[in-house]
Amino acid sequence: MNHCEHTRAQMVFYLDDELQSDERHALEAHLRNCAACRERYDQERQFLESIRGARPLHSAPPELRARLENALSDAPSPHTAPPELRQRVERSLWRFNLAANRPDRLRRLTARAAMVVMALLLGLWAWSEYHKLRPYPQPSDFALMAVDTHQRHLRGQLPLEIASAAPEQISKWFIGKVGFRVELPNYQELSGQEKLYDLEGGRLVGYRNDYAAYVAYRMQQRPISLLVTSEQTARPSGGEEIVSKGITFHYDSISGFKVITWADRGLTYALVSDLEERGQQSCIVCHQGTKDQNFIEGLKP
Amino acid sequence: MSDAGNRHTTFSQAALLHLDALYGFAMTLTRDQTEAEDLVQETYLRAVRAFGRLLPDSNLKGWMFAIMRNAWLNQLRHTRNGPRFVELDAEDGDHSEWLGHLANDPHVLYLRKLEHEEIRAAIDNLPHLYREIIVLRDIEGFSYQQIAGILGCPAGTVMSRLGRAREKLRRLLADWHSAASTARTKVV
Repeated sequence: MNHCEHTRAQMVFYLDDELQSDERHALEAHLRNCAACRERYDQERQFLESIRGARPLHSAPPELRARLENALSDAPSPHTAPPELRQRVERSLWRFNLAANRPDRLRRLTARAAMVVMALLLGLWAWSEYHKLRPYPQPSDFALMAVDTHQRHLRGQLPLEIASAAPEQISKWFIGKVGFRVELPNYQELSGQEKLYDLEGGRLVGYRNDYAAYVAYRMQQRPISLLVTSEQTARPSGGEEIVSKGITFHYDSISGFKVITWADRGLTYALVSDLEERGQQSCIVCHQGTKDQNFIEGLKP
Repeated sequence: MSDAGNRHTTFSQAALLHLDALYGFAMTLTRDQTEAEDLVQETYLRAVRAFGRLLPDSNLKGWMFAIMRNAWLNQLRHTRNGPRFVELDAEDGDHSEWLGHLANDPHVLYLRKLEHEEIRAAIDNLPHLYREIIVLRDIEGFSYQQIAGILGCPAGTVMSRLGRAREKLRRLLADWHSAASTARTKVV
């Protein structure tokens, strides 16, 4: 992607005040030197200003305002307990004090023990109910974003900013665009694996006021998405956990897609696919031809 | 007055500053004045009950917008057995009737010069999800992250939906202009 294409992709984020200062400066510098992009920018700015100039769309009717002002001034403060409740609590405390002053140590201990047992039973019940509903913890925000990004890519809403089948080219493209280094090893070549999947390209996607790296793969016409961000921005969590070679993989199924998230050497990854295999079996699909038997053995259930 | 009482009064005053914005959002959601007023009232009552849980540094306006949207979704679930966003699927639906009406109405031809009116009308005619996100970002000025909090979706969804909504709005306005020009040509 050349400078003009990158600038045009970023323009709307600039106008929405969603770019960081270095990105803003880079975009402003490009606009100063590129008449075509400046023209496009002016059109986009005018369009957004015309929408924003239409505010307010509606004004609350004066009667509604008056009604609400009355309702709010009449509403009891949620921090002021009703007098009846106050009296009831005071009575309970008074009784408790009486009981506490009795030299009946054993009775007090029994009551406390009963409370602890009750709390434990309640906790156990809540835990079992939770796990009945969902066998694994909720997926992380990053995993949800990865699935959403994958779906947008499938719908053609996320065109790639760099199209290349060479991992080193894509790694290089991300330098200076994201605050971490995206290393895409040629795993198939290194492990002597037959070529089962192809690298298609990459682009930036917004995540938590920053950019994450998006890398698209394809395996026999089935798209696979890889999202990468720093471990400080997102940590993998949720789903079924499998540890292999010291890395904890989180397997989850979101909106019908399989998602695997993991962290390694300061980066967090999310891999999204529509592979039908369950859990770690889905890893083996891509890595089945590898000579790295330790890797495969580590993934087997 | 007690501390709790003071907080309550301060909250009420601060919350009322956002009345117009909340009413506008209620109109965006319901498209009906009576329903919008009821929704605003419901939102304020819920907020009064819950403001003790609002953290001191939280964004009051965003919090109330989220309350309003949840209240509205609850109402939809009760009345319609689940929210329906069929409008989004029908995003490329036929607006010719609306456009034709605008193009042929002399009064509206006059209003065509008033850009704000055009834009308000166009926003009003967007499918629900697009209308909502345009209002949150371009009318109310929430950030992507705040919108994600209000809508309960990832920021990525906000960005993509906003992009589609603006594109739709742009097309709608262009269609409107083209329909109005055709009508003007016929009159001449």
